[in-house]
Amino acid sequence: MQWLDGLVQGVLLGGLYAQYALGMALMFGVMRVVNITHGDLMILLALVGISLASTFSLGPWSVLVVLVALGGIIGIILQRLILNRVVGADPLPSLIATFGLSIALQNAMLQVWSADTRSLPSDGLAQASFQLGPLFVGVLPVIVLITATVLTAALAATMQYTRFGRSLRAAAADVEAAAMTGIDPKAVYAGATALAVGILGFAAVFQSMRSTVSPADGAFQLIYAFEAVIIGGMGSIWGAFIGAMVLGISQSIGFRIDPGFGILAGHLVFLTILALRPQGILGKG
Amino acid sequence: MDFPPVRVQRQTLSGVVAMGLGVVALIAIASMPFWASQGLIRDVVELCCYIAVAQMWNLLAGYAGLVSVGQQAFIGVSAYMMFVMAQLWGINPFIAVVLAMIAPALLAIPTYGLLHRLDGPYFAIGTWVIAEVLRLGTSVFGYVNGGAGMSLRVMTGYSPMERAIGVSLLCALMLLVTVGGSYWLLRSRYGLALIAMRDNPVAAASQGVNVGRLRFLIWVAAAVGTGLAGAIYFMAQLRITPPSAYDPSWANIAIFIVMVGGLGSLEGVLIGALIYFFAERWFGEYGATYMVVLGLLTVFMALFARGGLWGLICKVVDAPWFPTRRRLMEDPT
Repeated sequence: MQWLDGLVQGVLLGGLYAQYALGMALMFGVMRVVNITHGDLMILLALVGISLASTFSLGPWSVLVVLVALGGIIGIILQRLILNRVVGADPLPSLIATFGLSIALQNAMLQVWSADTRSLPSDGLAQASFQLGPLFVGVLPVIVLITATVLTAALAATMQYTRFGRSLRAAAADVEAAAMTGIDPKAVYAGATALAVGILGFAAVFQSMRSTVSPADGAFQLIYAFEAVIIGGMGSIWGAFIGAMVLGISQSIGFRIDPGFGILAGHLVFLTILALRPQGILGKG
Repeated sequence: MDFPPVRVQRQTLSGVVAMGLGVVALIAIASMPFWASQGLIRDVVELCCYIAVAQMWNLLAGYAGLVSVGQQAFIGVSAYMMFVMAQLWGINPFIAVVLAMIAPALLAIPTYGLLHRLDGPYFAIGTWVIAEVLRLGTSVFGYVNGGAGMSLRVMTGYSPMERAIGVSLLCALMLLVTVGGSYWLLRSRYGLALIAMRDNPVAAASQGVNVGRLRFLIWVAAAVGTGLAGAIYFMAQLRITPPSAYDPSWANIAIFIVMVGGLGSLEGVLIGALIYFFAERWFGEYGATYMVVLGLLTVFMALFARGGLWGLICKVVDAPWFPTRRRLMEDPT
């Protein structure tokens, strides 16, 4: 029974990881860029949300709306100020620039919010649970999983059916050819980054409701997002979702084997997949 | 057709002067116990470790096109190997530092096999995962006392003078291997291939450079060089724990030094290491604010001055300390 419980909890944890991983898969697919501040931006949004909630006594859902909008704006600024200057075939400039920004951001957050762990008051939502057969399932994790599924489906549909999605895919396939057909790469890039950081607004609210955040946590979220993307298959939106599930389940089962083994189990599953199926679960070739 | 008589010029006056100064510096470091205070020796050891770690990162990122943010994996694994050899197996600690290099070399082979499948930027984060796995794995590994860490108690069997002599000689050896070795490598036949690869890997491959094999060899060499710095650093510390051994700030240090000093040049690493070393002493007390400035400076260098300070200096004066160019001179007849 504890294994079944571990599986269910793992899928629910995967819902949170999927919200980290979607934006990373999108940005890498379109720009071949990995934004090292990905996790730090999530933490920044979460801390801003917690401060907003306590200052203006906002409920979690109002905070969510504010953070998603704020995430979009931060994404556009990040793209305009930094990423546009470093996009290119050479991975080094974008890595180094976002790496430096990540150090600066973490320490700036440390100055503003101190190293304390904080969480977002959830009006009792984080404690609520219901019984499903022999298992107790939390209400909040189920909401997180549903949100993640809807976000993934919406993002996949946007990529598939809308004009913006077509331009994203065109830029991903060959940016110069896309530019020749009248697509403005900078606008497409800004759109992709705004979407990626906007989705982190969801992740920020849920992460700070279900547990705590502190300024130094970002690096771990970056690694989980990365592992989910690679497990699922680079460049695939549903791949990132499935990868997040695999990672969540691995950590959850590992944690039940030994509490010190949870995170490590996730890393080991990642390395095993990298050794046996480097293109990822949904990857081609 | 008649060719004018030519010769290849490979050394410059500035290079000869720098070589002379380098030899003097190495002798000075090796003989530190006879003229320097304990505090100065500690500082020089730290500076030498920064130079070695940064130069190895420079070799990877500046020439092989492999960006790693997980070099602390090799620091930790070789430092732990040295502690195990010296403390648990009873090997002479100064010899253990050299023997422990087997650990980063052995680690580098499978990690390259796994990670080279990842595309550019993902490779970097992959190296970070390896370092995290080692940190978490070491924390639950009872043989090395898990998360509580180990102390190098065998060092109490040596007098302070003996320790100082050992550490100073190892430091000189480390600089000779990492900086001198890189210099030698870049001036050799492989250096030409490396510089061609740095400028354009596809074009280099078309000229007969085996890019994949060269990258692998550089990866292993950099792992060993980084590991040597780790073993010496923690021998001077006398104590090791998983969070300190696999500290991500090693990657920060290497990246900052190379980006500020100058990517793809040996001179840049020396300049960057000196700047970092003094910045830490003068501004380290400002803690988080200091780190914010360091981070923003790295961003600035990546955006606007990719050649670093050495790149800016080169625009003004052409006097390389470590000349690696081959210049074709026409002899007057």
